[in-house]
This record gives sequence, C-alpha cells and structure tokens, in this order.
Amino acid sequence: MSAAESVGMREDRRPHDDVAALIPMLRRIIEARVDDAATADDLVQETLVRVLAAAARVEPGMLEPYAIVTARNVVASMWRDQDRHRRNQHRVVDLDLPDPPDQDLLANEERTAVAEALSRLTDRERATLLAHEVSGQDTRSLAAEQGSTAGAVAAQLNRTRARLRVEYLLVQANVEPPTERCRPVLLALSGGDRRRQREVDAGRHLLECDVCARLSQPLMERAQPRDDEVRIPISTDADIVAARQAARELAARLGFARTELTLIATAVSEVTRNIVRFAGTGEVVVELVDRPRRGVQVTARDTGPGIPDVERALTDGYSTYSGLGLGLPGARRLMDEFAVVSEMGRGTTVTMTKWCGER
Amino acid sequence: MTGPKLVSILRQGSWLIASIHTALDDTQMVLFQQDLIEQIGRYRSRGVVIDVAALDVLDSFGARTLRTMAEMARLRGAETVIVGIQPDVAFAMVSLGMDTGSVPTALDLEEGLAYLARPGGRGPGHRGSAAG
Ligand SMILES: [Zn+2]
Repeated sequence: MSAAESVGMREDRRPHDDVAALIPMLRRIIEARVDDAATADDLVQETLVRVLAAAARVEPGMLEPYAIVTARNVVASMWRDQDRHRRNQHRVVDLDLPDPPDQDLLANEERTAVAEALSRLTDRERATLLAHEVSGQDTRSLAAEQGSTAGAVAAQLNRTRARLRVEYLLVQANVEPPTERCRPVLLALSGGDRRRQREVDAGRHLLECDVCARLSQPLMERAQPRDDEVRIPISTDADIVAARQAARELAARLGFARTELTLIATAVSEVTRNIVRFAGTGEVVVELVDRPRRGVQVTARDTGPGIPDVERALTDGYSTYSGLGLGLPGARRLMDEFAVVSEMGRGTTVTMTKWCGER
Repeated sequence: MTGPKLVSILRQGSWLIASIHTALDDTQMVLFQQDLIEQIGRYRSRGVVIDVAALDVLDSFGARTLRTMAEMARLRGAETVIVGIQPDVAFAMVSLGMDTGSVPTALDLEEGLAYLARPGGRGPGHRGSAAG
C-alpha cells in the first residue's frame, strides 16, 4: 500500500470509528430529553446518520461538538413537529387550550435566545435587519432611506446576520466568551470572511479556545464547502506526505510548471516535518489565492513549544535535530514569500506563498 | 505490510537493485534503509543501485537518508549509485541546498549498472577484485 493510499484509507475509516465512539454520549444527551425509549433510539439513530453524513465536512477534532449540537437539534425538531401538529389540532378542536409549558420549553428557549441576540445588536443594525427580514423591505429602498447604496446595505445586512448568529449561539450556550479575541474570531467565521479570519488568526484561536471550538461548529458547517482550500491535520510522518501531495494537487490547478510544483511540495514537506518533530501536532492549510496575484499559500501552524530564536532558525546550518538544519531556511528558498511567527509556549505559524507565473 | 510493495530489493550477483515504488514517508524511508543495509550484509553485496524515480520529492530528510545509506553501504564494502532523480526533484534539491554529497548518481538503472560495471568498479561476478 502506498503512503497516499494508506492516508486515504485512514480518512475513510476514521469518521465511522469516531462516530461510533460518540454513541454513549449521544444516548445520554437524548435520553435526558426524551422519556420514551423507542423514540430515543430513533433519535440516536437519526443523529448518527446526520453526523456520519456531515463527518467529512466537519473540522478535524470537532466531531464531538458537532454531534452534541446535532443531537440537540434532532430532539428540538421532533418537539417542534409535535408542537406544530398539536397546535393544528387545537385549531380544529379547541382554539383556547394553551400549549403545555414543558413541551414548549425548547421552542421558547429558542425564541428567547433570538430576542436576546437581537437586543445585542445596535439599534440601527436591528432596525435594518427587521425591516428587511420581517417587513420585506428591499435593499434598494433601505439604501434610499439611509442615503447609502444597495450594495452597502446588503453588505451591512450580511455583517449583521453574522453577528446575530454569533450572539444567538452565545446566548443559547449561555456563555460569555473567555477572551477578547473570541468575538472577532467567531464573527469572522460566521461571516465567512476569509481575509478577516486570517487577520484575527482564527485557525490558531480555534486550536486554543475550547469555547470557540464548540460554538464555531454550526458557523463553519453553514459555510459553503470550499474547493480552493485543503486542511490537513498533522501528527504523523504519513501526514507529511499527505500535506505535500495535497499542496501539489491544489497548486497544479493554477497551471504551475512541474518544477514549481515540486518546489512547493518540497517546501511543504520541510515545514510539515517541523510540526511533527517539534510540536507533535498541528495543521497545514493549503489555499489558492488571487491577490495580489494568483498563487498558492501554505499555512503550517502548531501549538508546540515555539522557536526561541526565529532569526537563528532561519539561518543556514542552524541545527535543531539530528543534524538537520535545512527545514526553515531551505523552505524559504523554495518559496516566493515566507514568514514565521513563533511565540514561546504557544506555537509557531509558518506562512509561505508561491506566485504563479513570472516572478 | 499489505498491498503493493513500497520498495523492492532484487539481488543480481553481488549487486543489489533497490527500487522505491512510491512516495515514502520518513518512517518508511528509515525501514527501507534498514532493510537495504541488512541485505547488503547478508549477501555481501559489492554494489547497490537505488532507483528513486518514483519519489515525489527528495527533501532534506530524504536526501540525507540516501547519503547515510550510501555511507553505511560503503562501510560494509559496497558501492552505491543513485539513479532516477527526476529533473524537477534535482532542481528542488539544489534550491533547498541539498545534494547527494559524494554519492554518485546516474540517469537510470541501465546507466547505474554500467557505472558499477565500469573498469575498476564493482563487477557483479568477482567479489573483492575491484579497487575500493
Ligand atoms: Zn474563544
């Protein structure tokens, strides 16, 4: 079996094993909310099916929070269905009969969460959003009222929706973000704003912050699957091969020459090996960029001990393990852009880019 | 390991022809190294051809491992030639600041065998007769 094949197989097998391991937890969550054993069984099954179907789209290491949210949603949607059914019945038999409060608890929780999240928006954000979503006012007439353009209003609405989603999740989870970086990160994820995600270093924060890792799952699941980005979790030697092959495949789409593809793959190999050797685990993200030019950007980040002297680590001949000092300076020579950010005790992020076409 | 082999080592007289069939990770590279050195000892081989044409990259670890293999082979009395380094791989190695050191390279298997069989080289049939 080739290295590439073994990597592929492992990924095929993993979700099923991981999902199976979630069953006891899902059972506890659902049985705590549903009395009837047969119904609970059905809901566990339904949750498993949904989680399994989504497993490939879920961020590495985020399957469990995803499953928790899914289980809650499956229970909630069953209750909503029952509730709707019952209310329709009421219309026929007894319009005045109030809904039993315990059955409505979840729907009420959700309404309360939305109301609370709305209250956290600015007055102007809230007014515009409600005018658009509830009253159906279009962006052009909103723009006329605000002395703005339809495009600007649409962009503002998108930002407001992104904020509302974040606040809703925070209310629902009943948590205050533990750090001041949390909200900007969640907001960037919620808005699907990749430039902003880079600015706030969202990937690193999600590695470090449990709360955001948990909350961001529905935000990321909501995002469109991207075909110009590959994320490879790194922990073993085989992942080094997987990362460099993924980088080569993605970069090949831009029409890089074979020689350049090999330079990119070699550089990825070097920086990924640093993760395995020094940090143990991390991730490599390969993405196609088109600003300022078309190219391929590789981000290798870990939560390892950090590099004490980055300048020195970038110097040829600096030897850190088994006589090999070529990792970083070598990779830098192979790429067009190269940056290392390292913080002791927190980890290292290497960002490197190869532009497509003439230098 | 199941499935198609990652590497194969064939014996031909006092030569070993080692071929890498796919991209190897570091662990697989080290296993290959151990396997080859063990076989050099077992068969008292005098010459080794390592065909790396199928390697996708030769990064610092890969290049260094090849050099170590050649050095260990030399200590066991065998001469090593590396064949099949693709032009793009060779370019990346040079850009990286790596080379195969004093280990000779040849274009392909045929050239590599011709190198071992050169006058004064490690002929396949006459152990110990070649100059070291
Ligand atoms: Zn956070």
